[in-house]
Amino acid sequence: MGKKTNLQTFYSQSEQQTEQIAEKLAHTLQGTEMIAMFGGLGAGKTAFTRGLARGLGIDDGVSSPTFALVHEYEGRYMLYHFDMYRIGSYDDLYSTGFFDYQGQGVMIIEWSENIEPFLPEERINITIKRISDNEREIIIEGAEKL
Amino acid sequence: MRILAIDTTASPVSVALLKDGFLEGEFFLNIKTTHSQTLMPLVENILRLTGISAEDVDLFAVNAGPGSFTGVRIGVSSVKGMTFASDKPCAAVSTLEAMAYSMPYRNGIVCAVMDARCSQVYNALFRLDEGNVERITEDRALSIDELKNELEYYEEDQIYLTGDGADICFKSFGDSLPSLVLTPMNIRYQHAYGTAMAAMRMADENKLCTSDELMPIYLRIPQAERELQEAERELQAKKRNNDGNANC
Repeated sequence: MGKKTNLQTFYSQSEQQTEQIAEKLAHTLQGTEMIAMFGGLGAGKTAFTRGLARGLGIDDGVSSPTFALVHEYEGRYMLYHFDMYRIGSYDDLYSTGFFDYQGQGVMIIEWSENIEPFLPEERINITIKRISDNEREIIIEGAEKL
Repeated sequence: MRILAIDTTASPVSVALLKDGFLEGEFFLNIKTTHSQTLMPLVENILRLTGISAEDVDLFAVNAGPGSFTGVRIGVSSVKGMTFASDKPCAAVSTLEAMAYSMPYRNGIVCAVMDARCSQVYNALFRLDEGNVERITEDRALSIDELKNELEYYEEDQIYLTGDGADICFKSFGDSLPSLVLTPMNIRYQHAYGTAMAAMRMADENKLCTSDELMPIYLRIPQAERELQEAERELQAKKRNNDGNANC
């Protein structure tokens, strides 16, 4: 594994740029990382996931798994896309199979805020902050240098 | 009595066939397979290679939990399906008890532990005495520290630490409990053999169930629940603060 840098900050002016940043992140992955995303409604979490999926060679349309809770994609590595928006208890989390997926592929999680105590320490944090309608600050923590 | 036993509760998958306590056949894999893809081929092959038909099986035993959410459901629903068709009885065995039944050849305490994540383990303690397995505690979820404190009470006995959580526990408190030993690899993980042996006892004690009654056993993690509720409260407070700022 390459050297991990603690904090990397990017500014995105558009959804396309957000996807490109995520695509770059995808190229640094080893295949079993957990990526925890933080950022409210409309921050661009699904756009980020779309870019990450493309970086892993996945061309299927990526959509938010709000209803299914988890979507699975097969690319260079397996990608498990979780949405924790409706997860409010340990039992909820357990019954998504969240713990069973760990180590089986790359996991990317929307609404990580809801399950923060159960995230393993070894993970990548993505914080997306809204600056204006199109502008976002994206902070990547615990990943290799992009 | 012939028993077909299966386990899919964690990373291994295993299938065993026993007749009156005699082990006729057993398969065990532990390479992170997808149980939904390996279990039925293992069942099919153990029957085919032993020349025993599903109708010759009198009892279907399954580790019904604790364990991984998906794993437990795969095992339980497979046995539900097989017994729904054949109308044969089922045994819903505790995974931890099955571990204890894999090793009643010495005297001492079995401490069966499964990694439940979040620094918690699923655990139960059993006393082995001249070939008998006696349960000391219920199946429960607790922290590694809580388990260590409890084990100090059994210092006088040899304590056999077994299960997929044995390693992390041994690393955490192996040095401070000299009577603790790790079980060897051939019995470290849950095996369908232990499931069948536990099921034999359940049959003696009239604790079998029907296909309909067979259900997964899930354990709650009280500490994890508390932490999540605290996190939820903090999050709500943060949201309120943010809303407040926006209004200013």
